[in-house]
Amino acid sequence: MNPYQVLGVSESATDAEIKNAYRELAKKYHPDNYADSPLADVAEQKMKEVNEAYDTICDMRRSKNTYSNNSYSGTYQGSSYTHTNFPDVRRLIKEGRLDDAMQILNGVASHSRNAEWYFLMGMIFSRKGWTEQAYSYFQTACRMEPSNPEFMSALNNMNARRSYNPSGYNTVNPAGCSMCDICTGLMCADCCCDCLGGRGCC
Amino acid sequence: MFGFVNVDSSEMLGKDFDTYKAIYCSLCKQLGKEYTFLARFILNYDCTFYAVVALSLSQDCPGFCKGRCKFNPLKRCNYLKKGEKELSTAAALSIITSYYKIIDNIADGNFFEKIICHILKPLFSHWHKKAMKKYPHIEKAVSEMSRSQFEVEKDSSCSVDKAAEPTAKMLSSVMSDLAFDDIQKRIYETFGYFLGKWIYLIDAANDYDDDLKKGDFNPYVISYGNDKSSHIHDINESLNHCLSQTLSAYNLIKTKRFGRIIENVLIHSLPKKQRNVLYNDEE
Repeated sequence: MNPYQVLGVSESATDAEIKNAYRELAKKYHPDNYADSPLADVAEQKMKEVNEAYDTICDMRRSKNTYSNNSYSGTYQGSSYTHTNFPDVRRLIKEGRLDDAMQILNGVASHSRNAEWYFLMGMIFSRKGWTEQAYSYFQTACRMEPSNPEFMSALNNMNARRSYNPSGYNTVNPAGCSMCDICTGLMCADCCCDCLGGRGCC
Repeated sequence: MFGFVNVDSSEMLGKDFDTYKAIYCSLCKQLGKEYTFLARFILNYDCTFYAVVALSLSQDCPGFCKGRCKFNPLKRCNYLKKGEKELSTAAALSIITSYYKIIDNIADGNFFEKIICHILKPLFSHWHKKAMKKYPHIEKAVSEMSRSQFEVEKDSSCSVDKAAEPTAKMLSSVMSDLAFDDIQKRIYETFGYFLGKWIYLIDAANDYDDDLKKGDFNPYVISYGNDKSSHIHDINESLNHCLSQTLSAYNLIKTKRFGRIIENVLIHSLPKKQRNVLYNDEE
């Protein structure tokens, strides 16, 4: 497939436009956004295509010597797990064999269910679409091992999903008072002071 | 359960809203053409959204032509020139889901609902048979939903996830029929699953007080009981979670057209509906 089409830009696009398009897509398909999604592997594949397309375009342009200063090397590389007690379960989840993974985890005796066990259970439920159950497992995993960056990142991603804010509007609690409200309030108060002949309160 | 998936016209370009209206009118026309004039009354926004998604993938650009509304001959409206296959599928989905809604109401509606549904049933049965013959896979998905919902509601300690599963699976299956390849199929399955889950849960949130009073099945009532007000944030988060997953799945789809309409629904309209239902926030 034409690498320019993958990035959604025309062949005459400038380097900056290509870099921007790449960054937008990389942000959209970033594996962190899909870690808890049933489509994690599809997003990973898309990310790979985008990376390859970007590298191809960079190589093409470099070899033409038209754009000699193009040396962006920030393409995303997939992360790998460092330490795990359940390599088989992780592999099965990656392959999408959720029932098999769940069977192994259910076979673990209750006294040896550690934070990773809860995290992986959460991952399975999340990929199945059982969001509430998954959230509760992730919370337990983080409570048991709050210093683990993998579990914390999964919980943070899920919290971001649960405050769904794609348009930048406040979709959570309309009755709340944000930092922005406080700043606006202070500015208004300052203006009022000025109007009344004062020297301003801040 | 109908009517939650609509567009937010205030956040939409005029031309996109005209397109959406044209699809809505075309679906109405299709219902009249394939079934009878009376079938036009079951037209709903949810199935119009299904038509939009189906048309967003079709190979041919549908194009528009002018016409007049059957209900109000003074009103001019636009109709699609092509896209009959997609509209026909959406019409069948409207018929089949409405039929099962009637069956549902006969089983557990109030006295007046039962009488009305008994009167309407023969008419709907006739349309249903016709739709079922042409679209057996939709029939299978919706009848399966109806059956599993009945099973699920027997469980007095049913979790939110479990209660929403039948509707989610139904929409997942119906959406996946639109895909052309295996990868796309999985994307549409996930897209439909979380959208279906959101529809079920927003309906449950909307009916919370009524169900609590009448003692009817409602997964949120099971989880939170009398204490709705202190759990409204949890309900909001569970709905947000579904919307976020729906949008993530949608981001992997390459639509051929109507992308802005679908984004309007997912990004503006559904969160707004959610705020209306949970916080009585009209704006």
